[in-house]
Amino acid sequence: MDILEISHVSKSFGSNKIIEDLSFSVPEHSVFGFIGKNGAGKTTTMKMVLGLLKPDAGELFVNGEKVRFGQNTTNRYIGYLPDVPEFYGFLTPREYLKMCGEITDMDKARIKERSEELLALVGLETVNKRIRGFSRGMKQRLGIAQALLNQPRLLICDEPTSALDPVGRKEILDILHSVKEHTTVLFSTHILSDVERICDRIAFLHEGKIARKGTMEEIKNIRKGDSIEIEFFRPQDAARFLQIQEGAVQTERTKVVLSADRQTDILTIMKQLSENHIFIQRLEQLEPTLEDLFMEVVRK
Amino acid sequence: MRQYLAFTKKEWLEQIRTGKLLVMVIVFVLFGIMNPAVAKITPWMMEMMSDQLAQTGMAVTAVEVTALTSWMQFFKNMPMALLVFLVMSGSILTAEYQKGTLINIVTKGMKRWKIYFSKMCIMELIWTLGCLLSYSITYGYNAYFWDNSIVHHINFAVFTFWLFGFWLISVLGLASVFCNSSAIVMIVVAASFGASYLAGMFPALKEYSPSYLMESAGLLAGEGEISAYLGAILVTIGLIVVGNVISVIGFDRKNI
Repeated sequence: MDILEISHVSKSFGSNKIIEDLSFSVPEHSVFGFIGKNGAGKTTTMKMVLGLLKPDAGELFVNGEKVRFGQNTTNRYIGYLPDVPEFYGFLTPREYLKMCGEITDMDKARIKERSEELLALVGLETVNKRIRGFSRGMKQRLGIAQALLNQPRLLICDEPTSALDPVGRKEILDILHSVKEHTTVLFSTHILSDVERICDRIAFLHEGKIARKGTMEEIKNIRKGDSIEIEFFRPQDAARFLQIQEGAVQTERTKVVLSADRQTDILTIMKQLSENHIFIQRLEQLEPTLEDLFMEVVRK
Repeated sequence: MRQYLAFTKKEWLEQIRTGKLLVMVIVFVLFGIMNPAVAKITPWMMEMMSDQLAQTGMAVTAVEVTALTSWMQFFKNMPMALLVFLVMSGSILTAEYQKGTLINIVTKGMKRWKIYFSKMCIMELIWTLGCLLSYSITYGYNAYFWDNSIVHHINFAVFTFWLFGFWLISVLGLASVFCNSSAIVMIVVAASFGASYLAGMFPALKEYSPSYLMESAGLLAGEGEISAYLGAILVTIGLIVVGNVISVIGFDRKNI
Protein backbone atom coordinates (compact mmCIF):
# COMPACT_ATOMS: atom_id res chain seq x y z
CA MET A 1 0.00 0.00 0.00
CA ASP A 2 1.12 3.53 -0.70
CA ILE A 3 1.50 5.69 2.38
CA LEU A 4 1.79 8.82 0.27
CA GLU A 5 0.28 9.53 -3.10
CA ILE A 6 0.77 12.75 -5.00
CA SER A 7 -1.43 13.16 -8.02
CA HIS A 8 -1.07 15.86 -10.69
CA VAL A 9 -0.07 18.58 -8.25
CA SER A 10 0.91 22.05 -9.44
CA LYS A 11 2.03 25.06 -7.47
CA SER A 12 3.30 28.47 -8.42
CA PHE A 13 4.33 31.50 -6.44
CA GLY A 14 3.25 34.50 -8.46
CA SER A 15 4.37 33.88 -12.02
CA ASN A 16 7.04 31.48 -10.82
CA LYS A 17 5.96 27.92 -11.51
CA ILE A 18 7.59 25.71 -8.88
CA ILE A 19 5.76 22.40 -9.27
CA GLU A 20 4.15 21.31 -12.51
CA ASP A 21 1.81 18.32 -12.74
CA LEU A 22 3.80 16.32 -10.21
CA SER A 23 2.75 12.71 -9.56
CA PHE A 24 4.45 9.99 -7.58
CA SER A 25 3.76 7.65 -4.71
CA VAL A 26 5.72 6.30 -1.79
CA PRO A 27 5.10 2.66 -0.82
CA GLU A 28 5.12 1.68 2.82
CA HIS A 29 8.33 0.60 4.56
CA SER A 30 10.68 2.20 2.13
CA VAL A 31 13.31 4.87 2.51
CA PHE A 32 12.42 7.23 -0.27
CA GLY A 33 15.01 9.71 -1.48
CA PHE A 34 13.57 12.87 -2.97
CA ILE A 35 16.40 14.38 -4.93
CA GLY A 36 16.74 17.72 -6.63
CA LYS A 37 18.85 20.83 -6.94
CA ASN A 38 18.40 23.67 -4.49
CA GLY A 39 15.18 25.40 -5.47
CA ALA A 40 13.83 22.42 -7.41
CA GLY A 41 10.65 22.45 -5.32
CA LYS A 42 11.40 19.75 -2.74
CA THR A 43 10.43 21.81 0.29
CA THR A 44 7.35 23.16 -1.49
CA THR A 45 6.19 19.61 -2.23
CA MET A 46 6.74 18.55 1.38
CA LYS A 47 4.89 21.55 2.71
CA MET A 48 1.93 20.67 0.52
CA VAL A 49 1.96 17.11 1.90
CA LEU A 50 1.85 18.63 5.38
CA GLY A 51 -1.00 20.95 4.52
CA LEU A 52 1.18 24.00 5.12
CA LEU A 53 0.79 25.16 1.53
CA LYS A 54 -2.24 24.94 -0.70
CA PRO A 55 -1.64 23.32 -4.11
CA ASP A 56 -3.00 25.23 -7.11
CA ALA A 57 -4.16 21.99 -8.68
CA GLY A 58 -4.06 18.27 -7.96
CA GLU A 59 -4.54 16.14 -4.89
CA LEU A 60 -2.41 14.58 -2.21
CA PHE A 61 -3.26 11.53 -0.11
CA VAL A 62 -1.61 10.36 3.09
CA ASN A 63 -2.49 6.82 4.10
CA GLY A 64 -5.44 7.03 1.71
CA GLU A 65 -6.86 10.21 3.26
CA LYS A 66 -6.98 13.43 1.34
CA VAL A 67 -4.73 16.25 2.56
CA ARG A 68 -6.59 19.45 3.31
CA PHE A 69 -4.88 22.80 3.67
CA GLY A 70 -5.08 24.48 7.08
CA GLN A 71 -6.77 22.16 9.55
CA ASN A 72 -5.06 19.01 8.45
CA THR A 73 -6.03 15.74 10.11
CA THR A 74 -3.69 13.64 7.95
CA ASN A 75 -0.82 15.13 9.92
CA ARG A 76 -1.51 12.59 12.64
CA TYR A 77 0.18 9.97 10.44
CA ILE A 78 3.17 12.15 9.78
CA GLY A 79 6.30 13.07 11.65
CA TYR A 80 8.05 16.07 10.16
CA LEU A 81 11.61 17.21 10.49
CA PRO A 82 12.04 20.67 8.90
CA ASP A 83 15.37 21.54 7.29
CA VAL A 84 16.24 23.82 10.20
CA PRO A 85 14.08 22.66 13.11
CA GLU A 86 13.31 25.43 15.57
CA PHE A 87 12.28 24.92 19.16
CA TYR A 88 11.31 26.98 22.15
CA GLY A 89 14.66 27.88 23.66
CA PHE A 90 13.29 28.19 27.18
CA LEU A 91 12.25 24.52 27.36
CA THR A 92 14.42 21.47 28.00
CA PRO A 93 14.29 18.59 25.48
CA ARG A 94 12.13 16.52 27.84
CA GLU A 95 9.69 19.39 28.38
CA TYR A 96 9.48 19.92 24.64
CA LEU A 97 8.76 16.26 23.94
CA LYS A 98 6.18 16.23 26.73
CA MET A 99 4.36 19.14 25.11
CA CYS A 100 4.49 17.43 21.71
CA GLY A 101 3.15 14.23 23.23
CA GLU A 102 0.26 16.08 24.84
CA ILE A 103 -0.53 17.82 21.57
CA THR A 104 -0.76 14.45 19.81
CA ASP A 105 -2.81 13.11 22.74
CA MET A 106 -0.46 10.34 23.85
CA ASP A 107 -1.00 9.08 27.38
CA LYS A 108 1.33 10.25 30.11
CA ALA A 109 3.26 7.06 30.73
CA ARG A 110 3.72 6.52 27.01
CA ILE A 111 5.11 10.04 26.55
CA LYS A 112 7.67 9.41 29.26
CA GLU A 113 8.65 6.03 27.88
CA ARG A 114 8.91 7.22 24.26
CA SER A 115 10.82 10.37 25.27
CA GLU A 116 13.49 8.37 27.07
CA GLU A 117 13.66 5.85 24.23
CA LEU A 118 14.05 8.52 21.58
CA LEU A 119 16.44 10.73 23.53
CA ALA A 120 18.63 7.66 23.92
CA LEU A 121 18.29 6.89 20.19
CA VAL A 122 19.43 10.39 19.22
CA GLY A 123 22.04 10.59 21.95
CA LEU A 124 20.51 13.38 24.02
CA GLU A 125 19.55 11.31 27.07
CA THR A 126 21.98 13.06 29.40
CA VAL A 127 21.22 16.58 28.19
CA ASN A 128 19.12 18.50 30.67
CA LYS A 129 19.91 22.06 29.73
CA ARG A 130 17.47 24.30 27.90
CA ILE A 131 17.32 24.10 24.11
CA ARG A 132 18.64 27.67 23.83
CA GLY A 133 22.22 26.39 24.24
CA PHE A 134 21.93 23.63 21.62
CA SER A 135 24.23 23.29 18.61
CA ARG A 136 22.80 22.82 15.15
CA GLY A 137 23.47 19.08 15.26
CA MET A 138 21.77 18.71 18.63
CA LYS A 139 18.72 20.55 17.32
CA GLN A 140 18.63 18.25 14.31
CA ARG A 141 18.71 15.24 16.60
CA LEU A 142 16.01 16.61 18.84
CA GLY A 143 14.11 17.29 15.63
CA ILE A 144 14.19 13.61 14.78
CA ALA A 145 13.10 12.70 18.29
CA GLN A 146 10.07 14.99 18.14
CA ALA A 147 9.18 13.77 14.66
CA LEU A 148 9.22 10.11 15.75
CA LEU A 149 7.49 10.64 19.10
CA ASN A 150 4.07 9.28 18.23
CA GLN A 151 5.44 6.57 15.93
CA PRO A 152 4.25 8.15 12.71
CA ARG A 153 3.54 6.00 9.66
CA LEU A 154 5.42 8.47 7.50
CA LEU A 155 8.52 10.42 8.49
CA ILE A 156 9.23 13.42 6.29
CA CYS A 157 12.69 14.93 6.55
CA ASP A 158 13.64 18.04 4.66
CA GLU A 159 17.37 17.93 3.93
CA PRO A 160 18.18 16.47 7.33
CA THR A 161 21.91 16.24 6.70
CA SER A 162 22.75 19.33 4.67
CA ALA A 163 24.08 21.43 7.50
CA LEU A 164 25.91 18.77 9.46
CA ASP A 165 29.52 17.65 9.68
CA PRO A 166 30.40 14.13 8.44
CA VAL A 167 30.02 12.54 11.89
CA GLY A 168 26.66 14.19 12.50
CA ARG A 169 25.52 13.17 9.04
CA LYS A 170 26.40 9.55 9.56
CA GLU A 171 24.55 9.53 12.89
CA ILE A 172 21.40 11.01 11.39
CA LEU A 173 21.49 8.59 8.45
CA ASP A 174 21.95 5.65 10.80
CA ILE A 175 18.94 6.77 12.81
CA LEU A 176 16.80 7.14 9.68
CA HIS A 177 17.88 3.70 8.54
CA SER A 178 17.08 2.18 11.91
CA VAL A 179 13.47 3.40 11.99
CA LYS A 180 12.67 1.89 8.61
CA GLU A 181 10.87 -1.12 10.07
CA HIS A 182 8.05 0.87 11.64
CA THR A 183 8.08 3.99 9.58
CA THR A 184 8.28 4.95 5.95
CA VAL A 185 10.90 7.62 5.46
CA LEU A 186 10.66 10.30 2.80
CA PHE A 187 13.66 12.52 2.75
CA SER A 188 14.76 15.24 0.45
CA THR A 189 18.37 15.97 -0.23
CA HIS A 190 20.89 17.08 -2.77
CA ILE A 191 23.65 15.03 -1.19
CA LEU A 192 23.79 11.95 -3.39
CA SER A 193 26.09 9.89 -1.22
CA ASP A 194 23.45 10.02 1.52
CA VAL A 195 20.90 8.65 -0.91
CA GLU A 196 23.13 5.80 -1.98
CA ARG A 197 23.75 4.97 1.64
CA ILE A 198 20.19 4.47 2.85
CA CYS A 199 17.51 4.85 0.16
CA ASP A 200 15.81 2.00 -1.58
CA ARG A 201 13.68 4.17 -3.81
CA ILE A 202 14.37 7.52 -5.35
CA ALA A 203 12.78 10.23 -7.43
CA PHE A 204 14.66 13.02 -9.18
CA LEU A 205 12.79 16.29 -9.15
CA HIS A 206 13.82 18.67 -11.89
CA GLU A 207 12.07 21.86 -12.97
CA GLY A 208 8.93 20.96 -11.08
CA LYS A 209 8.58 17.49 -12.57
CA ILE A 210 9.79 14.01 -11.77
CA ALA A 211 12.63 13.36 -14.20
CA ARG A 212 13.42 9.83 -13.02
CA LYS A 213 11.92 7.56 -10.40
CA GLY A 214 12.08 3.95 -9.28
CA THR A 215 13.94 1.61 -6.98
CA MET A 216 17.64 2.09 -6.60
CA GLU A 217 18.32 -0.92 -8.88
CA GLU A 218 15.93 0.28 -11.56
CA ILE A 219 17.55 3.68 -11.61
CA LYS A 220 21.02 2.24 -11.81
CA ASN A 221 19.98 -0.20 -14.54
CA ILE A 222 18.86 2.67 -16.73
CA ARG A 223 22.48 2.95 -17.68
CA LYS A 224 24.19 -0.31 -16.88
CA GLY A 225 27.93 -0.25 -16.49
CA ASP A 226 29.44 -0.36 -19.98
CA SER A 227 33.11 0.08 -19.24
CA ILE A 228 35.90 -1.55 -17.34
CA GLU A 229 38.68 0.12 -15.43
CA ILE A 230 41.99 -1.59 -14.83
CA GLU A 231 44.59 -0.29 -12.43
CA PHE A 232 48.19 -1.47 -12.74
CA PHE A 233 51.05 -1.36 -10.28
CA ARG A 234 53.50 0.29 -12.68
CA PRO A 235 53.00 2.75 -15.54
CA GLN A 236 55.00 0.53 -17.91
CA ASP A 237 52.43 -2.27 -17.39
CA ALA A 238 49.71 0.12 -18.44
CA ALA A 239 51.71 1.05 -21.51
CA ARG A 240 52.19 -2.62 -22.45
CA PHE A 241 48.48 -3.30 -22.04
CA LEU A 242 47.63 -0.36 -24.29
CA GLN A 243 49.77 -1.94 -27.03
CA ILE A 244 47.99 -5.29 -26.98
CA GLN A 245 44.42 -4.09 -26.38
CA GLU A 246 42.70 -1.96 -28.96
CA GLY A 247 40.31 0.75 -27.86
CA ALA A 248 41.77 1.10 -24.37
CA VAL A 249 42.26 4.63 -23.09
CA GLN A 250 44.70 5.66 -20.44
CA THR A 251 43.04 7.86 -17.84
CA GLU A 252 45.82 8.10 -15.29
CA ARG A 253 49.44 6.98 -15.10
CA THR A 254 48.48 3.51 -13.94
CA LYS A 255 44.81 3.43 -14.96
CA VAL A 256 43.21 2.31 -18.19
CA VAL A 257 39.55 2.33 -19.20
CA LEU A 258 38.02 0.34 -22.01
CA SER A 259 34.50 -0.37 -23.10
CA ALA A 260 33.10 -3.84 -22.51
CA ASP A 261 29.50 -4.51 -23.38
CA ARG A 262 29.17 -8.04 -22.13
CA GLN A 263 30.48 -9.72 -19.04
CA THR A 264 32.27 -12.27 -21.23
CA ASP A 265 34.45 -9.40 -22.42
CA ILE A 266 35.92 -9.23 -18.95
CA LEU A 267 37.02 -12.85 -19.19
CA THR A 268 38.70 -12.18 -22.53
CA ILE A 269 40.60 -9.28 -21.01
CA MET A 270 41.63 -11.31 -17.99
CA LYS A 271 42.88 -14.04 -20.30
CA GLN A 272 44.99 -11.55 -22.21
CA LEU A 273 46.43 -10.14 -19.01
CA SER A 274 47.37 -13.56 -17.77
CA GLU A 275 48.88 -14.68 -21.10
CA ASN A 276 51.04 -11.55 -21.22
CA HIS A 277 52.04 -11.79 -17.55
CA ILE A 278 50.84 -8.31 -16.76
CA PHE A 279 50.13 -7.86 -13.06
CA ILE A 280 47.19 -5.72 -12.09
CA GLN A 281 46.14 -4.15 -8.84
CA ARG A 282 42.43 -3.93 -9.60
CA LEU A 283 39.91 -4.70 -12.33
CA GLU A 284 36.46 -3.24 -11.99
CA GLN A 285 33.27 -2.96 -13.98
CA LEU A 286 32.33 0.70 -13.64
CA GLU A 287 28.82 1.38 -12.31
CA PRO A 288 27.20 4.64 -13.24
CA THR A 289 26.99 6.70 -10.06
CA LEU A 290 23.88 8.56 -9.00
CA GLU A 291 25.90 11.66 -9.63
CA ASP A 292 26.27 10.75 -13.32
CA LEU A 293 22.53 10.15 -13.55
CA PHE A 294 21.77 13.31 -11.68
CA MET A 295 24.00 15.38 -13.92
CA GLU A 296 22.43 13.77 -16.96
CA VAL A 297 18.94 14.70 -15.70
CA VAL A 298 19.94 18.24 -14.84
CA ARG A 299 21.70 18.87 -18.16
CA LYS A 300 18.82 17.49 -20.23
CA MET B 1 -8.70 20.41 25.59
CA ARG B 2 -5.42 18.62 26.24
CA GLN B 3 -3.82 20.18 23.17
CA TYR B 4 -5.00 23.58 24.31
CA LEU B 5 -3.69 23.15 27.85
CA ALA B 6 -0.34 21.80 26.67
CA PHE B 7 0.20 24.85 24.49
CA THR B 8 -1.08 27.27 27.12
CA LYS B 9 1.30 25.73 29.64
CA LYS B 10 4.13 26.42 27.21
CA GLU B 11 2.94 30.02 26.81
CA TRP B 12 2.86 30.49 30.56
CA LEU B 13 6.34 28.98 30.99
CA GLU B 14 7.56 31.30 28.25
CA GLN B 15 6.23 34.32 30.10
CA ILE B 16 7.96 33.18 33.29
CA ARG B 17 11.27 31.93 31.91
CA THR B 18 11.90 34.76 29.49
CA GLY B 19 11.29 37.21 32.35
CA LYS B 20 8.38 38.94 30.61
CA LEU B 21 5.99 38.17 33.43
CA LEU B 22 8.39 39.58 36.00
CA VAL B 23 8.77 42.80 34.01
CA MET B 24 4.99 43.15 33.72
CA VAL B 25 4.50 42.53 37.45
CA ILE B 26 7.09 45.19 38.25
CA VAL B 27 5.46 47.64 35.84
CA PHE B 28 1.98 47.13 37.26
CA VAL B 29 3.22 47.30 40.85
CA LEU B 30 5.12 50.51 40.12
CA PHE B 31 2.10 52.06 38.46
CA GLY B 32 -0.02 50.98 41.43
CA ILE B 33 2.32 52.67 43.88
CA MET B 34 2.87 55.72 41.71
CA ASN B 35 -0.76 56.91 41.82
CA PRO B 36 -1.04 57.49 45.58
CA ALA B 37 2.63 58.57 45.69
CA VAL B 38 2.08 61.32 43.13
CA ALA B 39 -1.06 62.40 44.94
CA LYS B 40 0.80 62.42 48.25
CA ILE B 41 3.65 64.60 47.03
CA THR B 42 1.46 66.99 45.05
CA PRO B 43 1.04 69.54 47.93
CA TRP B 44 4.74 69.40 48.68
CA MET B 45 5.62 69.93 45.00
CA MET B 46 3.17 72.79 44.78
CA GLU B 47 4.82 74.38 47.78
CA MET B 48 8.26 73.95 46.26
CA MET B 49 7.13 75.62 43.09
CA SER B 50 4.94 78.27 44.69
CA ASP B 51 7.67 80.91 44.57
CA GLN B 52 8.19 80.43 40.87
CA LEU B 53 4.48 80.32 40.25
CA ALA B 54 4.00 83.47 42.29
CA GLN B 55 6.46 85.26 40.04
CA THR B 56 4.36 84.33 37.01
CA GLY B 57 1.35 85.69 38.78
CA MET B 58 -0.24 82.47 39.96
CA ALA B 59 -1.14 82.26 43.57
CA VAL B 60 -0.99 78.86 45.14
CA THR B 61 -3.39 78.13 47.92
CA ALA B 62 -3.28 75.01 50.05
CA VAL B 63 -3.96 72.00 47.85
CA GLU B 64 -6.29 69.46 49.32
CA VAL B 65 -5.48 65.91 48.39
CA THR B 66 -8.06 63.12 48.65
CA ALA B 67 -8.51 59.59 47.39
CA LEU B 68 -10.03 61.17 44.29
CA THR B 69 -6.68 62.81 43.42
CA SER B 70 -4.99 59.44 43.63
CA TRP B 71 -7.68 57.71 41.52
CA MET B 72 -7.43 60.45 38.93
CA GLN B 73 -3.71 59.68 38.75
CA PHE B 74 -4.65 56.03 38.27
CA PHE B 75 -6.63 56.78 35.13
CA LYS B 76 -3.98 59.15 33.89
CA ASN B 77 -1.14 56.66 34.36
CA MET B 78 -2.69 53.31 33.46
CA PRO B 79 -2.78 54.00 29.70
CA MET B 80 1.01 54.12 30.00
CA ALA B 81 1.00 50.67 31.61
CA LEU B 82 -1.28 49.45 28.82
CA LEU B 83 1.17 50.78 26.26
CA VAL B 84 4.10 48.99 27.93
CA PHE B 85 2.04 45.81 28.09
CA LEU B 86 1.08 45.97 24.38
CA VAL B 87 4.66 46.65 23.27
CA MET B 88 5.91 43.73 25.36
CA SER B 89 3.27 41.43 23.86
CA GLY B 90 3.55 42.71 20.29
CA SER B 91 5.65 39.80 19.05
CA ILE B 92 3.63 37.04 20.69
CA LEU B 93 2.74 35.49 17.32
CA THR B 94 5.15 37.19 14.92
CA ALA B 95 8.18 35.87 16.82
CA GLU B 96 6.87 32.35 16.23
CA TYR B 97 6.46 32.98 12.50
CA GLN B 98 9.92 34.41 12.21
CA LYS B 99 11.60 31.56 14.08
CA GLY B 100 9.40 28.89 12.50
CA THR B 101 8.58 27.33 15.86
CA LEU B 102 4.92 26.85 15.01
CA ILE B 103 5.72 24.46 12.15
CA ASN B 104 6.50 21.57 14.49
CA ILE B 105 3.35 22.26 16.46
CA VAL B 106 1.01 22.57 13.48
CA THR B 107 2.41 19.50 11.73
CA LYS B 108 1.62 17.52 14.86
CA GLY B 109 -2.05 18.11 14.15
CA MET B 110 -2.55 20.97 16.61
CA LYS B 111 -5.71 22.85 15.77
CA ARG B 112 -4.76 26.37 14.80
CA TRP B 113 -7.59 28.09 16.62
CA LYS B 114 -6.28 26.56 19.82
CA ILE B 115 -2.89 28.15 19.22
CA TYR B 116 -4.57 31.49 18.66
CA PHE B 117 -6.75 31.33 21.74
CA SER B 118 -3.88 30.10 23.92
CA LYS B 119 -1.99 33.24 23.01
CA MET B 120 -4.99 35.49 23.49
CA CYS B 121 -5.81 33.95 26.85
CA ILE B 122 -2.29 34.43 28.17
CA MET B 123 -2.33 38.09 27.15
CA GLU B 124 -5.80 38.61 28.60
CA LEU B 125 -4.81 36.84 31.80
CA ILE B 126 -1.72 38.98 32.29
CA TRP B 127 -3.63 42.15 31.45
CA THR B 128 -6.38 41.24 33.92
CA LEU B 129 -3.94 40.31 36.69
CA GLY B 130 -1.94 43.45 35.99
CA CYS B 131 -5.02 45.67 36.24
CA LEU B 132 -6.05 43.95 39.46
CA LEU B 133 -2.57 44.38 40.86
CA SER B 134 -2.36 48.12 40.16
CA TYR B 135 -5.95 48.58 41.26
CA SER B 136 -5.54 46.80 44.59
CA ILE B 137 -2.27 48.53 45.40
CA THR B 138 -3.77 51.95 44.68
CA TYR B 139 -6.92 50.99 46.57
CA GLY B 140 -4.91 49.86 49.59
CA TYR B 141 -2.81 53.01 49.80
CA ASN B 142 -5.85 55.20 49.25
CA ALA B 143 -7.70 53.45 52.06
CA TYR B 144 -4.67 53.93 54.30
CA PHE B 145 -4.03 57.61 53.55
CA TRP B 146 -7.50 58.85 52.71
CA ASP B 147 -10.99 57.50 52.23
CA ASN B 148 -12.10 55.55 49.19
CA SER B 149 -15.76 56.02 49.95
CA ILE B 150 -15.85 59.57 48.55
CA VAL B 151 -15.17 58.18 45.07
CA HIS B 152 -18.09 57.00 42.94
CA HIS B 153 -18.27 53.97 40.65
CA ILE B 154 -14.60 53.15 40.94
CA ASN B 155 -15.03 49.44 40.07
CA PHE B 156 -17.08 50.26 37.02
CA ALA B 157 -14.58 52.84 35.81
CA VAL B 158 -11.71 50.37 36.21
CA PHE B 159 -13.79 47.76 34.40
CA THR B 160 -14.33 49.98 31.33
CA PHE B 161 -10.64 50.78 31.20
CA TRP B 162 -9.83 47.07 31.48
CA LEU B 163 -12.29 46.36 28.65
CA PHE B 164 -10.59 48.96 26.50
CA GLY B 165 -7.27 47.13 27.01
CA PHE B 166 -9.03 43.86 26.22
CA TRP B 167 -10.15 45.33 22.91
CA LEU B 168 -6.62 46.44 22.00
CA ILE B 169 -5.40 42.92 22.80
CA SER B 170 -7.88 41.52 20.29
CA VAL B 171 -6.69 44.08 17.73
CA LEU B 172 -3.13 42.97 18.42
CA GLY B 173 -4.17 39.34 17.86
CA LEU B 174 -5.98 40.18 14.65
CA ALA B 175 -3.03 42.17 13.31
CA SER B 176 -0.66 39.33 14.25
CA VAL B 177 -2.66 36.90 12.14
CA PHE B 178 -2.30 38.99 9.01
CA CYS B 179 1.11 40.62 9.49
CA ASN B 180 4.44 38.89 9.96
CA SER B 181 6.33 41.72 11.60
CA SER B 182 5.76 42.95 15.13
CA ALA B 183 6.46 46.54 14.06
CA ILE B 184 3.51 46.45 11.65
CA VAL B 185 1.38 44.82 14.32
CA MET B 186 2.14 47.73 16.65
CA ILE B 187 1.34 50.23 13.90
CA VAL B 188 -2.04 48.56 13.33
CA VAL B 189 -2.76 48.67 17.07
CA ALA B 190 -1.79 52.33 17.21
CA ALA B 191 -3.88 53.09 14.12
CA SER B 192 -6.91 51.33 15.63
CA PHE B 193 -6.49 53.38 18.76
CA GLY B 194 -6.19 56.52 16.64
CA ALA B 195 -9.29 55.62 14.65
CA SER B 196 -11.38 55.08 17.77
CA TYR B 197 -10.04 58.35 19.18
CA LEU B 198 -10.99 60.16 15.98
CA ALA B 199 -14.44 58.58 16.04
CA GLY B 200 -14.75 60.00 19.54
CA MET B 201 -14.43 63.51 18.12
CA PHE B 202 -17.72 63.20 16.27
CA PRO B 203 -20.56 63.89 18.67
CA ALA B 204 -22.74 61.25 16.98
CA LEU B 205 -20.12 58.51 17.38
CA LYS B 206 -18.52 59.65 20.63
CA GLU B 207 -20.52 57.46 22.97
CA TYR B 208 -20.09 54.37 20.80
CA SER B 209 -16.35 54.52 20.33
CA PRO B 210 -14.12 52.19 22.39
CA SER B 211 -11.97 55.16 23.37
CA TYR B 212 -14.99 56.52 25.26
CA LEU B 213 -14.30 53.74 27.77
CA MET B 214 -11.19 55.62 28.81
CA GLU B 215 -13.21 58.67 29.79
CA SER B 216 -15.02 56.88 32.57
CA ALA B 217 -12.78 58.60 35.14
CA GLY B 218 -15.36 61.39 35.09
CA LEU B 219 -17.72 59.07 36.96
CA LEU B 220 -15.47 59.15 40.00
CA ALA B 221 -16.33 62.71 40.84
CA GLY B 222 -19.98 62.04 40.23
CA GLU B 223 -20.18 63.37 36.67
CA GLY B 224 -22.45 61.44 34.34
CA GLU B 225 -24.19 58.12 34.61
CA ILE B 226 -23.02 54.51 34.20
CA SER B 227 -25.68 53.98 31.56
CA ALA B 228 -23.93 56.50 29.28
CA TYR B 229 -21.16 53.93 28.76
CA LEU B 230 -23.44 51.07 27.76
CA GLY B 231 -23.24 51.85 24.03
CA ALA B 232 -19.44 51.93 24.03
CA ILE B 233 -19.30 48.71 26.07
CA LEU B 234 -21.56 46.86 23.65
CA VAL B 235 -19.75 48.16 20.58
CA THR B 236 -16.39 47.19 22.09
CA ILE B 237 -17.55 43.67 23.00
CA GLY B 238 -18.95 43.33 19.47
CA LEU B 239 -15.61 44.44 17.97
CA ILE B 240 -13.74 41.94 20.16
CA VAL B 241 -15.99 39.05 19.07
CA VAL B 242 -15.87 39.96 15.38
CA GLY B 243 -12.11 40.48 15.55
CA ASN B 244 -11.55 37.06 17.09
CA VAL B 245 -13.79 35.34 14.55
CA ILE B 246 -11.90 36.95 11.65
CA SER B 247 -8.59 36.04 13.31
CA VAL B 248 -9.51 32.37 13.66
CA ILE B 249 -10.69 32.14 10.04
CA GLY B 250 -7.61 33.99 8.80
CA PHE B 251 -5.21 31.96 10.94
CA ASP B 252 -6.52 28.71 9.44
CA ARG B 253 -5.58 29.95 5.99
CA LYS B 254 -2.24 31.45 6.88
CA ASN B 255 0.98 30.12 5.38
CA ILE B 256 2.99 29.49 8.50
